[in-house]
Amino acid sequence: MTAEVRRTDPDAPLWRAAQVFRLVTVVYAVSSHFSTVGNYTNPNLAWFFVALLVAWSLVSAGLLAYGPQLRTIVVIVDQLAAVGLMAATRLVADHEWYSNHQTMPTTLWVANSVISAAVYGGPAVGTASALAMATVSAVVRDQINLDLWRDATAPVLVACGVAMGFATVTARHAHRQLEQAARVAAATEERDRLARQVHDGVLQVLALVQRRATETGAVGADLARLAGEQEEALRRLISEQDTDVDRGGERVDLTALLRARADASVTVSAPAEPVVLARALAEELAALASTALDNTALHAGPDARAFVLLEDLGDEIVLSIRDDGVGIAAGRLDEATAQGRMGVSKSIVGRAQWLGGVAVLDSAPGEGTDWEIRVPKEKSHG
Amino acid sequence: MAEITVMVVDDHPIWRAAVARDLDAAGFRVVAEADGVAAAGRRAAVVQPTVVLMDMSLTDGSGTDATRSVLAASPRSRVLVLSASSERDDVLGAVKAGASGYLVKSASASELVDAVVRTAAGHAVFTPGLAGLVLGEYRRISATGPKGGAGPSLTERETEVLRLVAKGLSAKQIASKLVLSHRTVENHVQATLRKLQLANRVELTRYAIEQGLD
Repeated sequence: MTAEVRRTDPDAPLWRAAQVFRLVTVVYAVSSHFSTVGNYTNPNLAWFFVALLVAWSLVSAGLLAYGPQLRTIVVIVDQLAAVGLMAATRLVADHEWYSNHQTMPTTLWVANSVISAAVYGGPAVGTASALAMATVSAVVRDQINLDLWRDATAPVLVACGVAMGFATVTARHAHRQLEQAARVAAATEERDRLARQVHDGVLQVLALVQRRATETGAVGADLARLAGEQEEALRRLISEQDTDVDRGGERVDLTALLRARADASVTVSAPAEPVVLARALAEELAALASTALDNTALHAGPDARAFVLLEDLGDEIVLSIRDDGVGIAAGRLDEATAQGRMGVSKSIVGRAQWLGGVAVLDSAPGEGTDWEIRVPKEKSHG
Repeated sequence: MAEITVMVVDDHPIWRAAVARDLDAAGFRVVAEADGVAAAGRRAAVVQPTVVLMDMSLTDGSGTDATRSVLAASPRSRVLVLSASSERDDVLGAVKAGASGYLVKSASASELVDAVVRTAAGHAVFTPGLAGLVLGEYRRISATGPKGGAGPSLTERETEVLRLVAKGLSAKQIASKLVLSHRTVENHVQATLRKLQLANRVELTRYAIEQGLD
């Protein structure tokens, strides 16, 4: 539960800082008392008040360490103690002394109550406390008419209250934003996890339907095909999500671009590691693969399957697009030209050359077509 | 021929039941099922199955971990990865850990039966996707490995065969295209896996010795 407390308590670091300040002020107040007590009319009573100051400082430290719920008490008692001790100056010193020196617990110690109020309630509360302390101090010292330029008590205390108050507000605001960001991140993570689980389950069932349905005749075969297509689509979606296909950068993963073309009749094989290329090169190669695949879909026959193989040879990329369709008969080149296939082939060869590489088509009747495109990677990774 | 016993490792009970039914119908004996890495290792030690059908995502770890623990507990078993996972690295990891083949879950019942028979007979079951991964892995090793060829590498013939597998040709088609026997093609394909697994084992051993864990 400590993490819980820390999470919901943005003020804790400020309170700890205030405690350190309190310790410093106590040391200052006590040593200051040693040097001034000789001028007091009632040194014994003065020592009693200093003892009270030290006692309250210790008790308040204990209360603050105990937990956030006691802060209200500390703030209230701080205000009363400061006012009370300032007022008590009149009991231990004569008018001659207190009108020309700072009041008893010292201005520095009084700043504690201003800081407590500011950390507790923000700049408005801090300023209010500062003005109250400055007023009490002025009244006690009978120096209300004195201009601010000679006595810095009021401006210093007000500055203290405003600064600490704003620090508190800022800390709380930052804390809220941080919490919100953490919540959003946790929600996103949870959504991803759920999606993965759901996807996995759906994939399993789709694969199962595909296998079972094939065994139950013509209607089943249709069902199997549909399940297969959906499985492939979902899998592609997930892998796109996993690899973040395109971040819009200068370099992209060609494997991811090619996988976007995979479906029930197109298999894409590639290395496990992403094949990262300059955007222009990757996009042109993916477009070349698309052209070849479109050609397959048009001419290879209805049951033809296509296989895309991507190889990264270090300085060279090899992209193969093969189908197991009807192929092109050697004697049917004219017919093929008439069908527009040769035009497409010339275009693929030309575009590969433009990339500084070569494209070779291997085809025989009944053996499908096999494109092999080799292009240099241009510059090495860097 | 001795009876082929099978263990099915998958975190989905529906899937395990369906696969077990298909295998039973085909005359195999499904001797164990497991949903996680720990259970798979424990049961494999007891039943020593001929073939282990392995999913990639399990309740308490990956199929790669399970492959490793199954083969440690039952070294003569053969692991066939059967996965719907789109995580390609995972499959490569399982193969390097000793799995002898990979089949996608959407494969038909007859493809599955055929793959189990071939796995039991000691053959490697390759899909075009796996061939692409293995080719890529050899190239990664030769590109990043130490100079002088300390890592495993493919012969020209093996590369040729593997590329044709990746392009979707069957072993028979490859044999006739390269004028080789069917058996020779199978041997080449298997050799590509064996070298990768051996290198992986050597790597792990070296790492263990360096870390003082041997």
